[in-house]
Amino acid sequence: MQIAEPLLIAIEELSKLPGIGKKTAQRLALYILKTDQDSVDNLVKAISDLKTKLHFCTRCFNLAEDDLCDICKSTKRDTTKICVVEEASDVMAIEKTNEYNGLYHVLGGVLSPLSGVTAHDLKIKELLLRFDKENISEVILALNPDTEGETTSLYLARLIKPLNIKVTRIARGIPIGGDLEFADEATIGRAMLNRIDL
Amino acid sequence: MILSGLSLRNFRTHKNVTLNFSKELNYIVGGNGQGKTSLLEAAYYLCTTKSFNSKDIESVTFYENEFEIKGIFKDITEDKIRLIFSVPENRKYYFQNDKLISRSSQIIGRFPVVILTPSDHSITQGAPSERRKFIDSVISQASSSYLEVLLDYNKTLKHRAVVLNLLREKKTKQLETELDVWTAQLIAYGLDLINYRQNFLNNFNKYVLDSYHKIVEDKEVPKIEYFYLDGNETHDIKKKFDKLIFDKREEEIRRAINLVGPHKDDFVFTINKINLRTFGSQGQHKTFQTALRFAEFFYLKDTTGKTPIFLLDDVFGELDAYRAGKISNYLKEVGQAFITLTDFADFSFLAKEENDLIIKLDKGNISYA
Repeated sequence: MQIAEPLLIAIEELSKLPGIGKKTAQRLALYILKTDQDSVDNLVKAISDLKTKLHFCTRCFNLAEDDLCDICKSTKRDTTKICVVEEASDVMAIEKTNEYNGLYHVLGGVLSPLSGVTAHDLKIKELLLRFDKENISEVILALNPDTEGETTSLYLARLIKPLNIKVTRIARGIPIGGDLEFADEATIGRAMLNRIDL
Repeated sequence: MILSGLSLRNFRTHKNVTLNFSKELNYIVGGNGQGKTSLLEAAYYLCTTKSFNSKDIESVTFYENEFEIKGIFKDITEDKIRLIFSVPENRKYYFQNDKLISRSSQIIGRFPVVILTPSDHSITQGAPSERRKFIDSVISQASSSYLEVLLDYNKTLKHRAVVLNLLREKKTKQLETELDVWTAQLIAYGLDLINYRQNFLNNFNKYVLDSYHKIVEDKEVPKIEYFYLDGNETHDIKKKFDKLIFDKREEEIRRAINLVGPHKDDFVFTINKINLRTFGSQGQHKTFQTALRFAEFFYLKDTTGKTPIFLLDDVFGELDAYRAGKISNYLKEVGQAFITLTDFADFSFLAKEENDLIIKLDKGNISYA
């Protein structure tokens, strides 16, 4: 089959994106080909700006346009609490809830020796340094509840507890608005274990 | 649940066959190489999407591009299952009522199956890993939480082995702490596993005893004894686990392997408290293996509430007529089962009933009796 080279390249590049297969890439490429020049320019600029305008906050490693991210810059946040998360996308997820008003710290992953990630590959040293400079009274661990996330939480707790800082971990249980009968057994089992007094 | 029929295309020696089954016992008879075991394999494929003895590609008839297995499961409702394996794509397609199912987790456990094959000899005669595999597979089928813990435990073992290896190369404070937390995790999951296995065996031993006595009517008492953490005392397992792993720490680092935990457990099969593996006769081994599969069948039936289909490959081969007759009788309590027999055997021991079916395979021809 003969395909024009620019189209072929576009398909190849698009199919490198997560969740995009060859067929979807072809559909996207043909769609882009049909749209007007302005829209294409906007798309190109948006993608390019992502890389040039955004980088990591020097304090918490969240996404930032300047040295510090908007959350670290804000004067309205509770600066005695740090919520530790795996990736910047987790910050966005927690921010959407409007339930948390403290600061964050993005680890950039979790301990996973099998994939070559040990403690010094994560922003753990940077987190510990923050305790010297900032007045932190509580660290909230909000890592994914899988083996690697749990082990990382355990690791952080071991380092932080001796500093006389309160360490908590987010609760886990049945999703709000979810049906008990559709929740998986592990979730229900854990929710049973972590039940609370009424 | 029963499998009421099976159609095979390009599946091993079966170019194109369609079979109907009895909802009770189906005796599959034929000489060597006529495709008796392939029929069991096909049924197993429909239940699990996998073969019990080979790779997918080995099941395709020579010079063909794909095999296809179709079957109908009847319960309260009817499910038409179709499985295709394509050689060029190296891919399996599984359809339930013409709907493509892509996740095997949606299939496994839906049509429960228990299989007894000659390779079961490794359960009683082979290495401890064979016995762990058997025990793990029975518990996992009945409890998905067990399977989750087992997977988490195995993952933790792999992570921890990497940390041990890093520590062997270079000792740092940071790596020591990392080892500590992986150890804590290993102990947490490990205690869960030990606890599950203990509870399971307390229950399962009754099934083994029951099944064994259906096959041999004497005073032999079979038992599965559980050995964990270098022994089987039950008081304060956690303390023992902590101590063992603490004592072995240096050796673990030196060899960069996990030396302590339920991945080292063994299950010792005994008859009248005597170790089967060391002192058992061939007949006792075969009887024990058979009893284990019957026990698995009834255990799964009771705990999951679903009746598995039972596949028995060449079960009568090494048994005397007395035991074979007993098994044949015992099978009546099962429900649907598929039993292969070589054609030169003397069938006089078979307690065949009206609804049972004898399916004869001869050079691609199929006849019923």
